[in-house]
Order: sequence, then structure tokens, then C-alpha cells
Amino acid sequence: MAVFKMAKVVLNRLFQKPATLMYPVVPREWTERTRGHIDIDVDQCIKCGICARKCPTNAITVDRDASTWEIQRMQCIQCGCCAEVCPKKCLSMAPEYTTPNTIKVVDKFDIPVKEKPAPKAAPADGAASGEDGLKCNAEECVYCGLCAKTCPVGAITVDRGEKKWEVDKDACVQCGACVDKCPKKCLSL
Amino acid sequence: MGKRTIIPFGPQHPVLPEPVHLDLVIEDEKVVEAIPSIGFIHRGLEKLVEKKEYPEMVYVIERICGICSFGHGWGYCAAAEGAMGVEIPDRAEFLRTIWHELSRVHSHLLWLGLLADGFGFESLFNHCWRVRETILDIFEETTGGRVIFSVCKVGGVRKDVDADTLKRIADTLENIKAEIKTLCDVFLEDVSVKNRLVGVGYLSKQDAIDLCTVGPMARASGINQDLRYNGHGKYLEVGFTPCVEEQGDCYARCKVRIDEIFESIGIIQRCIEAIPEGAIDVPVKGKFTGEFITRMEQPRGEAVYYAKAFDPGKETNYLERMRVRTPTNMNIPAMVKTLQGCDLADVPMLVLTIDPCISCTER
Ligand code: SF4
Ligand code: SF4
Repeated sequence: MAVFKMAKVVLNRLFQKPATLMYPVVPREWTERTRGHIDIDVDQCIKCGICARKCPTNAITVDRDASTWEIQRMQCIQCGCCAEVCPKKCLSMAPEYTTPNTIKVVDKFDIPVKEKPAPKAAPADGAASGEDGLKCNAEECVYCGLCAKTCPVGAITVDRGEKKWEVDKDACVQCGACVDKCPKKCLSL
Repeated sequence: MGKRTIIPFGPQHPVLPEPVHLDLVIEDEKVVEAIPSIGFIHRGLEKLVEKKEYPEMVYVIERICGICSFGHGWGYCAAAEGAMGVEIPDRAEFLRTIWHELSRVHSHLLWLGLLADGFGFESLFNHCWRVRETILDIFEETTGGRVIFSVCKVGGVRKDVDADTLKRIADTLENIKAEIKTLCDVFLEDVSVKNRLVGVGYLSKQDAIDLCTVGPMARASGINQDLRYNGHGKYLEVGFTPCVEEQGDCYARCKVRIDEIFESIGIIQRCIEAIPEGAIDVPVKGKFTGEFITRMEQPRGEAVYYAKAFDPGKETNYLERMRVRTPTNMNIPAMVKTLQGCDLADVPMLVLTIDPCISCTER
């Protein structure tokens, strides 16, 4: 009968277990792909700052002088963009959600300072990272050397006297820090 | 004739899921006129194209709305791919279709719940949302997010779904079909529910055309217009039947959405059978070029996405302009029309049956 349509649903459910979990007593099961929070492997990080630049919500701050990597947990929207762009793949998306909180949590990680690898001055032949690597438009370059100073891995060598600009394509992690810094905008990735 | 009174309705109101404000001009118990106003949750997301590079903009566009988030991401990516002339692999297009149709199922179940809540049927509301959880679990397993998926990118999709999981999804959907059917029977056959829906908020076919309604609202008034026919996704390949009703009342709008749930489940299952192996994305490099418009069928109706690059020669990684036209925007005039002359007690039903999504409308 049309009036008792709902009774069927209700009676059926009477003998089944509840659809909800007793949060927080019963823990939630995460799937492998659940985007919960961002984890960082500090030993790998080269402080290039790509993650900070690509993050849609500006949740990440990389301070190269203080050697810290900082994330504002409440600002992060768990999009996974930073984990995708990190050249060293030291960021990863972990499945557990962060605990609910009433204050805006900021997690700060200290990055161990590493010895700078000696810049390998082997001139690039374009083979290492394909033709897509870092390029410099020699006509516009003023050889100021800002790119070389900015590069987190020391892959660029600039010789002002000789008017020479070189990149070590093996060392370059394609972070784009130099591209942003260049005053003449003559670098491209 | 009674004295005219104005009753403010919304933006915060127990039956309204979204902040829309209506000034209802009342005479006795009848609404003579309804004056809508929006603008409570404008976030300026379109303006953000100036600050975010085009690959990162997907994350922003997806967050226009929490219900049709995948559709927005897809619409933007399709516009960007069209502008830059990128061909995406078949498998990616199939996966997008599957996720989009899953979104439609979850959106309609959510709406059915809200409708039940609107006419005071709390237990039915909870049951609709319980079934919807199954779909959200599928999303979490395949994409990592329950509401916002972040799987669509310019050039394809980010995550692949293996054959076993796809098979399991098809089976799960088959299993919940019976459950959805029992719930839908309550909407379509229960006497008390029918009393609230049948004959309420009639919108004639001519009015529906004149007022430019879109989506289920238009289809419930007998207009056979479904954007899934225009060739995006794999709809034409797997085939589907648009759900059209003639009566144009709240009951017909409810019926259209219920039929669409089952149609979508069918589409997903056919996609899962037909999905080819292969790559899920193509690399897209370089600056944003060109200009493009895409039209998509969202759960609420037709949405339009427009993306434009800076002038040739001055292109950057940013877009000059991004524009989204959302379905609710188009359905508000029809809602105002149906509100004229209705009973005050029916206002929640009428507002809900256009399935308003004000977050989309205001962006
Ligand atoms: S992108 Fe990776 S390597 Fe670069 S600063 Fe961020 S975490 Fe460190
Ligand atoms: S997950 Fe997204 S929002 Fe969160 S820090 Fe990474 S890029 Fe930013």
C-alpha cells in the first residue's frame, strides 16, 4: 500500500548495524589514496621553494636563510599539487586527516643544512634532461649572475668577463627559481 | 483582498541549503511576488586566474562548488585543452565520464535528501544520505577525496583506476540500485509525499523555453535538452536516454532526477565495460594559448566554461579571462515565475526543486 512505503525501509534497517561510526572511539579506516595531510622528508628537501610557489592557497613557506619548511595546516586544502611538483619527491600525501583543532596549526620543519655540491662545470649538451631543460636567451642575457646565486643546487655558472652562461643539466632540478629571479626574463623552462 | 505583507525568506533558513534571499510579497496565504537577491557568498574565484598559473587554476575552479566539483574541473580542463588544441587519451575521457556520472548520482541523492528534509521527512532524508555515502566511499577510494577530487588536470587525469576496482564499482552500483529504488518509491508513490509534490509549481513548456531554463528543470517541462549529446565525454559512444517528463510540476522534477540516477548508473556500467587500456594523460607544456568555450551537462543543467589567453605573442602561463556560467543562474527566473501565486507553505518545495546551488552562481 502506498502509505506504508517508508515502513519497509525502516523495518529493514532495524536489523542492520548503524551506518555511522562512533567517532572518535571507533577509528576511521583510510583508503590508500585518501588525501589526509602533507608529509615532508626533510633530508631530501633542497629548499627550492617550488612547492610554496605552486601551492594554490599559499600554505607553504620555505625560508632558505633560516633553513625551514613551514606548512599552515588549516590553509592547506589537500590538493596534492606540492607533492606533484616537488623535484626531489620529498613531499608525500599521507592518508590520515590531521586532528581537528581550534587553533590554526603551523608545522615547522628544520631542513638539515647540507654541503653545497661543487658545481659541475661540464657544459650542457642538452642530452641529460632532453630538449625541455633550462634555456637562456643569449641575446637578452646581461650576465648578472642572479640566476646562479638563486639556484638551490648550484647548477648554473655565469662568467661575466667571458660572457658565458652554462647550466649543468644533470644537476638542474628544473625548479624554476632562476626563471622567476631573472631581471631580463631571458630564462625559460 | 488581504493586506500585502513582505516576508523575508533566507539567506539563513532551515530548509535552505544555500544562501539565497527572497522577499516574498504575501497576500493572505498566497505569494504574489518573489524578489530574489544573491551575493552572500561571492568569493571572486574567476578573478584568481590572474594569480594562479593555468595548471594550478584547476584546483581553484574545482572548489567553486562542493557537489558538482568534478564537473567544474572537467569543464575548465576541457576549455583549456580546446584552447591549446590538446587531444586527451580515450581512457582519460572514459574515467572523466565515470567520475562525472558518479557525481551526478551523488548530487541527485543529496538533493532527494534535501527535498525530503524540505517537506519534513527527516528519516527519508537520512536514508538518502546514507546511500550517498557509498558513492562518496567510491570517490575516496579512487581519487583520494570524498568531495573535491583533484584528479582532473589539463591534459587528462591524475589517477588511474585498475580493472578490479572498476569491476567492484560496477557491482557496488548494481547492489545499491535496489536500495535506491525502495527510497525512490517513497518519493514517487507515498501519499503524503505526493500531496506535497503533485501539481505544485507548474511551469509550462513555453515558459520553460522563454525563461531559458536548463537541466532537469527544463526536462521536467517537456524540453528534451541534454548537453551530454554535444559530444563531450563518452556519452554518445556508450549511449544514453535523456529523462524527460511532461507535467512540469515538482513531482515531474523529482521524477526526472530519480530517473537520471538510474540512467547514470547505467552509463557508468557501460563505460566500465567499454573502457580501453592506455595512457591517462598527455604532457601539456608551454604557455597558455587560444580561446575556447565548452558546454557541459552538470547535475543541475547546462554550464558554460570560457577560457581566454592573452593576445598572441604576449601569452603567459596565466589566463586573461575565465568565465563560468552556472545552471542555477539560468533557473532562478523560472523559480521566481513558479513562486508567483503559490502557497506560502509550498515555497520551500519550489525553491528546492530547482536544486539551487548558490555557491556556483556567485563563485
Ligand atoms: S619543492 Fe620539494 S625540494 Fe623544493 S622546497 Fe618544496 S619540499 Fe623542498
Ligand atoms: S596539498 Fe595543496 S594546498 Fe596543501 S600545501 Fe600542498 S599545494 Fe598547498
